[in-house]
Amino acid sequence: MDRTIVATVLVIVHGLVAVALLGAITHQTLSAWASAGARPGSFFGRFRSVPSAAFTKGIIFLYTVTAALGAVVYLYFRVDIRPALEQANRWELLGFFDLKEHFIAIGLALLPAYFVCWRQPREASTRTRTALTSLLAFIVWWSFLVGHVLNNIRGFGE
Amino acid sequence: MTHRPAFRRFAFAFGAAFAVFYVIALAKNLALFTVYPSFGLVIWGTHLSHDVVDPALGFLAPAMYWYGWAATAALGASVVGLLAAALPAWWARRIWLGWLWVIPVAAMLGCVYLTLPWFSLDP
Repeated sequence: MDRTIVATVLVIVHGLVAVALLGAITHQTLSAWASAGARPGSFFGRFRSVPSAAFTKGIIFLYTVTAALGAVVYLYFRVDIRPALEQANRWELLGFFDLKEHFIAIGLALLPAYFVCWRQPREASTRTRTALTSLLAFIVWWSFLVGHVLNNIRGFGE
Repeated sequence: MTHRPAFRRFAFAFGAAFAVFYVIALAKNLALFTVYPSFGLVIWGTHLSHDVVDPALGFLAPAMYWYGWAATAALGASVVGLLAAALPAWWARRIWLGWLWVIPVAAMLGCVYLTLPWFSLDP
């Protein structure tokens, strides 16, 4: 199959899985931060009514799949996209992209601890759990936005 | 559902240690292996493009270190994680849980610092 088609299909699947991850991690983060006294039926009240821990395995799965697909797409990016951005002197975009890669790697290594925190009924780890979830949410949002913008500027198949 | 304390200690130590090792690997360019996607080539250790092809043709053989940095960090973090898992439970309880997110945040700031040169290049 044509190299460009493979890369384009991979980046679309990568983006779709990332959307699912974005939704799940945002939901869990907001419910972790939402006040326990949120009015039932309100926006945050409904967030809290969904058991946040139920998202954990799904988020780990989606994060891992997204990162794995991203690691494959990165090979195509390095050969087909990055040289064009370098020639266009879009250094700041390459900086943002590098940060995305760094953050994703750090987030990936935090997944086992994140899993333990959400499965651990100890009250002492609640704050750590919220902080860890927020950190992962930041990483996912950052990566999604940078990847999205970069793809809009110079995606595959052009 | 609870986890075995040893796994808990491993997971917590691994996550924090990975962040530290990753920044070190990035700062010192310590990649366990280097990937050359143009050639489908993987070489052990950190190799610069001009080590592989003529320096003037280095741009034809872009080297990728990200996979190698992550592997270096994973290796170091695994050792730290296994050591933490072997520690007695009372020792681990003395460690502040907040390090689990403070260290990665500090590492991310370290990554930002190391990436700053990209933003100072002339457009």
